[in-house]
Amino acid sequence: MSLKSWPLLLVILSLLLVANLMFGAVSISFEGILNGFQADSEHYFTVYEYRFPRTLLAMMVGAMMALAGALVQGVIRNPLASPDVLGVSHGAGLAAVTYMTLLPTSDIAWLPAVALMGGFSAAFVLWWLCGNHSSAIKLAITGVALGALYASTVDFLMLVKPLEINNALLWLTGSLWGRGWNQFFILLPWLGLIPIALWLAKSLNLISLGDDSAISLGVNTNTLRLTSLAVAVGLTASCVAICGPIGFLGLIAPHLTRKLVGGQHQILLPCTMLVGAILLLFADLVARTIDPPIELSAGIMTAIIGAPYFLWLLFKNK
Amino acid sequence: MLSFWASLFTWSSFPISAMDAIGGILSLNDQSIPEQIVRDIRLPRALLAATVGACFAAAGVVMQGLTQNPLASPAVLGVNAGAALGMAAVSTITPWFGLLGISMAAMIGGGVAWTLVMILGSAWRGGSDTGRLVLAGVAISALCAAFTKALVIMEEDQASAVLSWLAGSFANGNWETWSLFWPVALFALIGSQLLTPTLNLLQLGDDNAQNLGISLIWTKLAGSVLVLILVGSAISASGSIGFVGLLVPHMARILCGQDHRYFLPLSILMGSALVVLADTLSRGIIFPLETPAGAILALIGAPFFIYLVKKRAS
Amino acid sequence: MKRFFAFVSLLLSMSSSAVTVQDSQGTFTLDYTPQRIVVLEYSFVDALAIVGVSPIGIADDKDPDRIAPEIRELITPWESVGTRSQPSLEVISSLKPDLIIADYSRHQSVYKDLQKIAPTLILPSRRESYQGNLEAAAIIGKVLDKEDAMQARLAKHQEIMSGFAAQLPKGIEVQFGNAMEKYASLHPGKSYVGTLLQSLGFKTPPMLKNELSSVHTGLEQLLASNPEYLILGHYSSSDISNTWQKSPLWKVLKAVRNNHVYHIYNPSIWSRSRGVVAAEIVAGQLVELLTSR
Repeated sequence: MSLKSWPLLLVILSLLLVANLMFGAVSISFEGILNGFQADSEHYFTVYEYRFPRTLLAMMVGAMMALAGALVQGVIRNPLASPDVLGVSHGAGLAAVTYMTLLPTSDIAWLPAVALMGGFSAAFVLWWLCGNHSSAIKLAITGVALGALYASTVDFLMLVKPLEINNALLWLTGSLWGRGWNQFFILLPWLGLIPIALWLAKSLNLISLGDDSAISLGVNTNTLRLTSLAVAVGLTASCVAICGPIGFLGLIAPHLTRKLVGGQHQILLPCTMLVGAILLLFADLVARTIDPPIELSAGIMTAIIGAPYFLWLLFKNK
Repeated sequence: MLSFWASLFTWSSFPISAMDAIGGILSLNDQSIPEQIVRDIRLPRALLAATVGACFAAAGVVMQGLTQNPLASPAVLGVNAGAALGMAAVSTITPWFGLLGISMAAMIGGGVAWTLVMILGSAWRGGSDTGRLVLAGVAISALCAAFTKALVIMEEDQASAVLSWLAGSFANGNWETWSLFWPVALFALIGSQLLTPTLNLLQLGDDNAQNLGISLIWTKLAGSVLVLILVGSAISASGSIGFVGLLVPHMARILCGQDHRYFLPLSILMGSALVVLADTLSRGIIFPLETPAGAILALIGAPFFIYLVKKRAS
Repeated sequence: MKRFFAFVSLLLSMSSSAVTVQDSQGTFTLDYTPQRIVVLEYSFVDALAIVGVSPIGIADDKDPDRIAPEIRELITPWESVGTRSQPSLEVISSLKPDLIIADYSRHQSVYKDLQKIAPTLILPSRRESYQGNLEAAAIIGKVLDKEDAMQARLAKHQEIMSGFAAQLPKGIEVQFGNAMEKYASLHPGKSYVGTLLQSLGFKTPPMLKNELSSVHTGLEQLLASNPEYLILGHYSSSDISNTWQKSPLWKVLKAVRNNHVYHIYNPSIWSRSRGVVAAEIVAGQLVELLTSR
């Protein structure tokens, strides 16, 4: 099963990749796309400067958020956990909005770092409130409550400082509009976290047997937990800094993947990245083509797909 | 009462003294502008805020009683978001429906969301997992919010109207809205007071309540309808106001214990006071302009929500 | 002789076609006369129309009626490139423009991308004053290689506006606002309409004198600001002003007592359009409203 899923996922991914390049407010033929990578083509801007980096970004963000979700679900053995359910995304978002409203002239290259600090603070607050051993649902509720607090603070900031609303709002909707090579290169270094995550896969398998067995097999569970969570927060915060909190992606991608390939983390982690990339590519494609030339944000689409799936998980997970 | 009186004169963009506030109510002087402001703007606004607060608080009490879940409240369980989606759909797709259509849409939207949450959270039966219900509510809220956002982006013309509904503000409180709103609210508040003995029995658990001759289905149905009327009418009068329904019943419970017959009226009073207070603050923060009261309540309410979650664990 | 003229005109066209202007991001240079222009704000449509240039693409929020009919009849049909806040870069690129005119407030974040499509002139439009918009129009005139026509049109504009101003009372506090469903959105002293009214000799009530973006107000704040003249825009028939008019406090307003409340039905040109034609329409409507009594 697990090995058969690989090619299938890759095929879907490449189909979506091509579809994302072809369709939008303007449709371009397949040859048009191939030519679009040459600087003298009439579609050069649309294909190479606009859709291509945006598609790459969607894949990267989707993959990173899904990986973060899989890591979090792996270490706290909680099927309902993911960086956005736990409030980390909104924490990172709050930090970034605060930074933008208080220092509107500052350089956006610092946003990932600011968002990272916000994400870490949010994770710390959650840990401080819940401690080490709390039930799956309690952790999720606390995270959701914290997320609501951060979100309402963001709303409040935007109401009090309405002049900056345009920049912040554009960014907050979880949209990939206007994101290009610039954002791509800001996000690129953070891909370095992916090998670390993959390297953790084997230990994650052991921890899923339970803490005691993991310790007896020579895993330092505390270090592993901290490293994995830190990597997950880093992945999430860097994505949030680029395109705002995109909900439900980190939650549902690992679940879907687990159904496809099972729970072995060595396979699960790379596959979940594929699934995450597929989901976000799909969401962005729909968001761009539903009412052109007006665009919806991908975050809205992931919520529309993700929330029902979350409900189903909840229903099933009795 | 004090906060009500204070709201009549504080933080006005127009000079009003405390005495004018009393004068305005007693109609001492027809010519004085401050007294007229008190009578025609501040008084209906404060009354509206108080009634909306009462409605949300009562809805919170009924919901917590029905589901036996201390975290249940209109905002947490998705009723607010559903009602907002209903209103957004009606005002963007068919804007000619007017105020009545919008209230109906709010009730229908809220009703659909609430039913879904109850089914998915399997809360029709007692003793269900409280956390699951809350998470179902959160997910339904996220779904409704996503649809609302999509509508707002696609129909930019109506966007400002929809956004002002969502924000939850009393800036537009006037006698007309109040006169449409209070009979419904009063009816539903009395209805919920009549339900309190049953809610007391539900505390003993569904099975025991059934043994004592309570029809579970009818109780839950009646309670749900009451909640919908309370929340739907309150939201259509002022927009979405979160966290009152969650916060107030807990504060009331601390003060007077578990008997619903006493703590429902107390909740209603405290809900009124809290919302009036928030509305007063909403005029002060970026004076002379206003911040929606809903945003302020969210800022007060969310930390309390976290505190509740934490307390339940320990 | 004919040859000589041809040579001179060639020389002239060469010297005039390399333009350098200052835009909101610094220096902007263009060494040809742009033919295919995409504009991302309504005020730029106005600036193009008055010198007889038609844009090929407009960010018109997917609704051609957003462009005032008086401006629409000056230009040929165009393609919509989406909303002003999030224009579709794909559609812009597919139109193969040779000049894009963008708004500093809205499009700063995609300035670099726009530049990859075509030379992008970025000028203030949204949240800019009446004078600022005229200056932007003058810059656009230079870039379009129509400086003379633009200057002539701007001079005519000043003439028309002073003609209108002469018919209007001086030094009166006037407030424009749109009546929405739950509040009125007042355009304050530093806003486009505010500065336009000031240029016609009106004053802005002190409370909102230094505000820039439009302010949502209830009857109470309106009473506190209490302008001498009140101009209300109505988008729909069921807005807040109906409710207000029933309130006894409405009659306390100076503008109401002295019968100086004026109504504009379809206020789009007041609240959304900015530019030479739009300002003339607004001033014309104002004169008509105030002198018809």
